[in-house]
Amino acid sequence: MKMDYKLQVGVQSHLEMGSLDDRSMHDLDDECLYSPEMDAQKTQSADSHERVSLSGSLAVGGSKMIRNCVYKSIKTVVFSNKLNLLMAFGPLAILVHKMTAHNGWVFFLSLLGITPLAERLGYATEQLAFFTGPTVGGLLNATFGNATELIISIYALKSGMIRVVQLSLLGSILSNMLLVLGCAFFCGGLVYPGKEQVFSKATAVVNSGLLLMAVMGLLFPAVLHYTHTERHAGKSELALSRFSSCVMLLAYASYLVFQLKCQKDLYAPIDEEGSQNGENSDDDDDEAPEISKWESVIWLAIMTAWISILSDYLVDAIEGASEAWNVSIAFISVILLPIIGNAAEHASAIMFAMKDKLDISLGVAIGSSTQISMFGIPFCVVIGWMMGQEMDLNFQLFETATLFITVIVVAFFLQEGTSNYFKGLMLILCYLIVAASFFVHEDRSSTDESKQPQT
Amino acid sequence: MDDQKSNHHNNKSIDLDDSPPFVRIHSHAEIGSSEERAVLELEDERLNSCDSITRKKHPFKETSSSDICHMKCKNSLWNSIKIVIFSSKLNILMVFGPAAIIVHKTTGYHGMVFLLSLLGIIPLAERLGYATEQLASFTGPTVGGLLNATFGNATELIISIFALRNGMIRVVQQSLLGSILSNMLLVLGCAFFSGGLVIMKREQVFNKAAAGVNSGLLLMSVMGLLFPAVLHSTRTELHFGKSELALSRFSSCVMLFAYAAFLYFQLRSSKKLYDMESKTETSDDDEAPEISMWEAIVWLSILTTWIAVLSEYLVDAIEGASTALKIPVAFISVVLLPIVGNAAEHAGAIMFAMKDKLDISLGVAIGSSTQIAMFGIPFCVIIAWIMGQPMDLNFQLFETATLFLTVIVVAFMLQEGTSNYFKGLMLILCYLIVAASFFVHVDLDSVVDKPHKNGE
Repeated sequence: MKMDYKLQVGVQSHLEMGSLDDRSMHDLDDECLYSPEMDAQKTQSADSHERVSLSGSLAVGGSKMIRNCVYKSIKTVVFSNKLNLLMAFGPLAILVHKMTAHNGWVFFLSLLGITPLAERLGYATEQLAFFTGPTVGGLLNATFGNATELIISIYALKSGMIRVVQLSLLGSILSNMLLVLGCAFFCGGLVYPGKEQVFSKATAVVNSGLLLMAVMGLLFPAVLHYTHTERHAGKSELALSRFSSCVMLLAYASYLVFQLKCQKDLYAPIDEEGSQNGENSDDDDDEAPEISKWESVIWLAIMTAWISILSDYLVDAIEGASEAWNVSIAFISVILLPIIGNAAEHASAIMFAMKDKLDISLGVAIGSSTQISMFGIPFCVVIGWMMGQEMDLNFQLFETATLFITVIVVAFFLQEGTSNYFKGLMLILCYLIVAASFFVHEDRSSTDESKQPQT
Repeated sequence: MDDQKSNHHNNKSIDLDDSPPFVRIHSHAEIGSSEERAVLELEDERLNSCDSITRKKHPFKETSSSDICHMKCKNSLWNSIKIVIFSSKLNILMVFGPAAIIVHKTTGYHGMVFLLSLLGIIPLAERLGYATEQLASFTGPTVGGLLNATFGNATELIISIFALRNGMIRVVQQSLLGSILSNMLLVLGCAFFSGGLVIMKREQVFNKAAAGVNSGLLLMSVMGLLFPAVLHSTRTELHFGKSELALSRFSSCVMLFAYAAFLYFQLRSSKKLYDMESKTETSDDDEAPEISMWEAIVWLSILTTWIAVLSEYLVDAIEGASTALKIPVAFISVVLLPIVGNAAEHAGAIMFAMKDKLDISLGVAIGSSTQIAMFGIPFCVIIAWIMGQPMDLNFQLFETATLFLTVIVVAFMLQEGTSNYFKGLMLILCYLIVAASFFVHVDLDSVVDKPHKNGE
């Protein structure tokens, strides 16, 4: 997982598109920050003082110093990224909800408001991961990597909107596998028309295997239900789903262990040739976090809280938005929600592909899909179990078939280990077909779903 | 590099260096006719080696473009007919064409009409391919590739368009599906099998990359076919009856776009390869067409017209033949029609495999499947849209499942890049299973598929 975590570090640094120049620069007495590029950035002196103060060796003018730290922290986290302009839409969504209750707008605004928060959450996670070492760092990334989707799902579960949960998680997997990956391949292939870009076949194959296993876990409840061959109608699929979810979570945990051990073995002798540290343009802050550990934790909590609040409004507004815009709920959950929610990851994957770092793009795209399918979905089932909600793995036949064919297509494309713009184009066109299918797809089961808004 | 080179020989969609191999395909397709072929004297130096003596056909370079002499014209006409029609033993079957029309007019016995017109179409289809390839050698790689890509399966498309005019949508879907299945399983399997038998000591190899791209396209077409079918069978479409049609039309446009991109991509990569390699390894006459460009065009139109005429009788006779011969329409459309229609390609692929030119066989077999799946089927949907026929991509669950499974099996077999007789045998046996399934398959939709003759 350390490799992933390091890649994620790279991801987050590059995520701040063009913000390196604007990043507030903190002078450091510490030797962690060692690249001269930092000198070109704006210099603030507070960070060094802040570190010193945190290490307890300083007790100078307390409140003023703390206010300074807070200000600097906010500057680093909030103002360093142009994307964060969208943050304003968050409170706006709440205002609109309280005043007009026009669900279409509330939905749209809260969606826009969540996008930068999701990105910042990833940033905070990666910063925190610096301090915790590779193991816990890897775990952090593995869990919080898709925290946004999980938070939205948990809120939807609380409202009893089980279909929305299933559809939004499915849509996240589909958009990561087809759209993000396809765009990455396509843009990378256009920038490098002369050669085929290569990526690590082994990682891709392992991920494909996990995705296929997830499909298996989803297929059986759906087929059982569709063929009406379950032993106890209604109860069998639920029991089977819960059991399968535990199995899938176990598989995911072993996958993490396997990854960590592999990284450890690879890390020592090869000296990070796999993580491309040598020619990395993020040489600058290799091991240099930009905010302190406690700041990371605090920001993590703040972001999570904000995302939760907005998710609440988002989830409540889905059905109203569907009526207002005359689009099916299936389409909103499967296509719109994930595309916008994943926008930041999407952009970063494309950028990495254009820099010929296709492994990182693949990690972002396929790794995210694997995470959601092998961790996110079973986790939601278990959470639903604890909440008393009857979420199962029966995603209904159409959605399950979609996932099945998509996983097969993507697994097939990945197995060669090379990429070119045509493969990317094919993946994008496949996503178009999938999106069009969901546009004309009416989800029967969501119309007779009983909503029990539990506060 | 040789592998790459021959790889680009095999793909039907490009014609850069395809003219020599396709010349060879058609020459070899004339089974054993070399000895009896009329030897035509050559005025041109194009005939450059004694190999040409062993070739089954002597290229006859016509100088008609600069020659206006009447007698020469008559000579050239006679020679042209000689080359095109009399140079192949297969063309004896041509006589069945008019025979079918006569039978239709006199007895109206559908079974015989069906069989005769089917037999009559076989040589025409083969000659059409020949004319296309001849024309392609004049037009340069780009247009030549496009020609091959479009006319490669012109026969199936013509038959489909006539069936569409009659409103026999199911027949169209099933015949196109059957074409894909027979190409992927039967033709490929026979090629692998025969090749493996002839070349016993080692495994034959073929270009994995090209096979991979084709498999990817086939999977994408399966995706395009799967969604309307699943939407329909789970009854989850938004507007009942209209959603699948709209979705199918949209998906068809997407698939056509993907196919165009594929052609473009192929041309770009093959151009690059061609620049890198100076000469091909063919010893025969590389760029020597046998008939002039105008002859090729004229023959192209004549053959197309003939095929169209026969197709009309064929299509009209299908249902009657089904009752007469006591086989389900599904079986006729999916199994019989494609096997017979594809006979020439089939033979060509086997011969190339036996000569250890597996890439060409693969191009014939899998390239043809890809063409039909990503070009033929969407094209028919668009044509039906223009005609006002409601053809969609919903091939019904059974047929779609068949295609899905077949594509996965074949993609899996191809991914290694090697072949042996056992793989070929497995593919052939898979086809047997598929054929047997369709023999006992009742297509519920075709019962209501009465021929609606509209717009004739």
